[in-house]
This record gives sequence, C-alpha cells and structure tokens, in this order.
Amino acid sequence: MRKKCLIFLSMVLTICFSIATFSSSSSAKEVAYLSLADYTGPIAGLNVPADMGLEDYIKEINAKGGVNGIKIKFIGIDTRYDVARAVSAYKRYRRTKRLLMVNSISTGIGKAVARLIERDKRAQLVPGDGEFQAHLGRNFIWGPAYQDAFAATLDWIIDDWKAKSKSGTPVVGYLSWDNPYGREHLRGGKEYAEKLGIKLLPPEFFPPGTLKHDVYLTRLAKAGAHYIHAGGVDPTPTNVIRDAYALGLTKKIQMTTDYWGPTALGIGVHAKALEGTAITSFFERGTDAMKNKVPTDLWKKYRGSLDKYNEVYGMGMSWGLTYVAGLKAALKAVGYEKLKADDMYKAYQGITGFERLGIQGPCAYSPTSRRGSLEVKIYQVKNGKIVPIRGWRKAPDAVSLHKF
Amino acid sequence: MRYFKIIILFVIIPGLVLGALACQTLQSLTGPKATLEIAPAEIFLSPALIRKPVTFKGSGFAPKEMISVEMVLPPGLKMKGITEGEDVGIAVATSDANGNFTAAMGPMATLNWFFQVGWTPLLKPNFKEARPIPPGVYTINATGLDSDRVATSTLKIVPPPKKK
Repeated sequence: MRKKCLIFLSMVLTICFSIATFSSSSSAKEVAYLSLADYTGPIAGLNVPADMGLEDYIKEINAKGGVNGIKIKFIGIDTRYDVARAVSAYKRYRRTKRLLMVNSISTGIGKAVARLIERDKRAQLVPGDGEFQAHLGRNFIWGPAYQDAFAATLDWIIDDWKAKSKSGTPVVGYLSWDNPYGREHLRGGKEYAEKLGIKLLPPEFFPPGTLKHDVYLTRLAKAGAHYIHAGGVDPTPTNVIRDAYALGLTKKIQMTTDYWGPTALGIGVHAKALEGTAITSFFERGTDAMKNKVPTDLWKKYRGSLDKYNEVYGMGMSWGLTYVAGLKAALKAVGYEKLKADDMYKAYQGITGFERLGIQGPCAYSPTSRRGSLEVKIYQVKNGKIVPIRGWRKAPDAVSLHKF
Repeated sequence: MRYFKIIILFVIIPGLVLGALACQTLQSLTGPKATLEIAPAEIFLSPALIRKPVTFKGSGFAPKEMISVEMVLPPGLKMKGITEGEDVGIAVATSDANGNFTAAMGPMATLNWFFQVGWTPLLKPNFKEARPIPPGVYTINATGLDSDRVATSTLKIVPPPKKK
C-alpha cells in the first residue's frame, strides 16, 4: 500500500513539476499594448495608417531584442468605431498579463472604457477631450486638448486678420460633427474667442455621414463669417471645404481645420478645393512629415513605396515611442517581475519633456498634466501640398477657461 | 494508507477549497441569479431595426456596474473585424442601484454586426458591401463587468418575409 501511495505521490509531483516548467518556459518576458481601433469602420482611413506606425515601431523594437529583453505584444482590435464592441473587447483582454496601456481611438469609447480602466488601475490613451485634463485621472490625451488647438487657431486668425490689414475683429463660424467630439472644441474655445474679442457665430452641427454641407456653410456665410473652422475627422473636413469651394465661398472666406483636418487622404482627392486651407496640427504633416527620415524609413522598410504614406503614420509611431519611454521608466522603478499596469500609469506621469523625433512636441504628461504635448504648428495647403507656415508654438490653455 | 490520507487531508482537500474560493464562476453563483430578456426575441433584418432597435432588459447584477451584452458567434460564421471564436459586443449599459439594466443596440452596432455594412469615405454606411448575418438562433450573454455575473438568452433571426 505504501508503495502505491509513493507512486501516486510521485506522479502528482511529476505532473505539477511539468506544468510549472512548461508555464515558465512558454512565457517569455512580455508586456502588452491594446489598441481599440477602427480598421474597417468609418474612421479607418486615418486609424489604419496610425496603427501601422505603432505596430511597425513595436516590430522594430522587438526585432532588436525588445526593451531590456522584454518583448512588446501589440493587440489590435477592430471596433468599427462601436462603443459596445470596444467594451466587450476590453472585457476579453483586460486580464491579459502585463497589459500596460490601452489606446481608445474614439472619444466615446474612451469615456465608456474609462470606468473600467479606473477599476483595473490601468492607464488609457484617448484622443483630445479636454475633460480628461480638467478632471485628472488615468486617461492621457495624445496631444494638446481639442479646445487648446482651437484656441491656437483663433490666435492665428487674429494674426492673419492683422496681416491682411483688416479693421475691427474677425467673425468666425464653426461647424463640426454633432457628437461629443464636435462640441468639445467649444468648451473653453468659446471662452477663448470671447477673450480675444472674436465674434464666434452660433455653431453648426451636422451628423457624421452628411453628404452635403451647403446648408450649414451658407448659413455661416450669410451671418458674415470671415473664417470658417471645419471639424470632423478627415475626409469630413475635406468634404466640407469641397462644398465651400463649390459654393464659391473659399474666395472670400478663409477655411481652417483642427488636427484631424486634411492629410494625404484629403489632398489626394480634393487638392484644388483645399488650396489655402489652414490646419492646426500637433503632429508633423505634409512636407514636414515627408522630410522626417525615421518614420519614412520605417514605412519603406515595412510598407514599401512612400506613394501611399500618410502623416498619421508618424503620430502612431509617436505612441510607440512614448510607450517605450514609459516602459523603461516603469522597469527602472519596479523591475519586470513586479511590473503592473499601475506602474505604467505612474511612469507616464514622469516622462515629462521626452522628445519624439520631432514628430510632435515634447511629452507634457506629468502629475498635473494629461496632455501628450503642448505645441501646435499651423500648416497651409499651397500648390497641392501641406506646408508649415508657422513653427511650433505652445497652444493656449483653453481647458482651464471652461467650467467642467 | 496513512500517507494517502495525509495527501487527501493536506493537499487535495485544501486545493479544492482554495480553487473553489478563487473560482469567479462560483462567486458569481453566490449572488442573485442574473436574468436577461430580449425584445423582440425574434427579428428579421430590415432598416427598421435602426429606428426600433433590439433591446435588452436584465436583472440580478451588481448595483451600478457596467454590463456588456455580447452575441456568441457560431463556429464558421465570419464577421468583419471579429476574430473567429470571439464574441461580439452589441450593447453596453450600466445597472441601476438594484442591479437592473436596460440597453438598446445602437445604430452603429446594428449596422456593423447585423448588416455588416461597409463605410464610404463620407462616413455613410455602404449597403452594397453589406453581408447580413444568416438567419438562426444566436446566444446572447449579458456580463456584469464587476461581478462577472452572466445572464443568457437567445435571439432568433428569421429570413425576411417574402414580398407579395
């Protein structure tokens, strides 16, 4: 009997030992990054190249042995811009070992997932909602807030107005998507316009998917707009300006856009209509982006010819650069074995000033800032190309002007 | 024999007890039974679902928790954007103080997962690229994201009525 017991005990121990050995050998040192993205839905046109930039950068890091020998696992989920799908995908992946960062590519998704992020003591990246700066939490925006960028556009408008020797103050029209993103710019942006003495016309909102924007544009033109700021994610602003051009409005009204304004995507289709459009951007675009050797070389290596290069590829790469900087800081603080998502949240607050190859301004994350960077650059479409007309400048803090 | 008893007493029984305590499924069973109702329980695919979407009503969840409503895809059914074996989220809600919730499928979810439309550069659904999911009985799960409580029901999709 004793012999039987010993055999049984040795079998149990052997199985346990085998499981332990298998688990440790199969789990190489790895950390994860989850992108709740849109690859086949309405904003895929910009999201796909952005995630390509991030994924290629991670491939490159992993090919060189990872970060201190730790490989990064990129998990890209196609939400098709749907909040329910994004929440369900987060539910599926939230228990992934060492999932250090989630990038929610939609203001709506970011807001829905934020509660779970808080509960899981994790951090998430979200587009540009100023509310995340007003109420500091675990949500980091990619660059300056939407309202900050809009305020920078208003500064440029004043300068442009003066440069054209016009008297009085300019009248500005605003039209954008009828959703939280579309309204966000005005939560602080409106107050900034008042501060500058700019007359901001009652905003026009339209549902995403609107075919023609003539009604809204005509209303703003009739109200006396000298400038019209067209919101939405490219190609929407491109299509708004296409309609303004067809109505003959671009001859007398200066069109402006936010950082989701025309990229290579819009220029490729409506270059003539976009001529003269001013774009406020927190990341390099147009000719600047084409001159930046590191992202373009990475594109050539993984994607081939630059014919289809879109500047948001560099922005995606910038997410990767920031993630690696955060990872290095987190590893320095706690080491790999103790590394938790909360350590990455803490690390992101300590990488203030981190430079990202000039793709965007220095990292502005800190214990009191959730802004990815503070600077914007003004570009203009000239001769079918997006060229810089003003260097990097710190965008005004419009978030603090609004009561959230 | 004594060794065997020792193993049972000190290894197997504590192991089973600890395992059971850690098991979230069992934990979720300790609360009230979660339920899910779908209205209507039987549909056919038509644009009317955008205006009058499928709705979900649940109870027995933890108070104020997020609920993810998911459709289980049968093996072999390919869906745009979904990896095989994955469930697809079709609605999301937050339970009230009593653990009850109601949710409706948003237009985006109906277009993406029932009709599987394409999207034009103008952000308009492209029905030319649509691949509507086939008729059948689909399992729907509602999961509490804090409590891990799961309620299950079914949604029957029938072929559209023949035009007279």
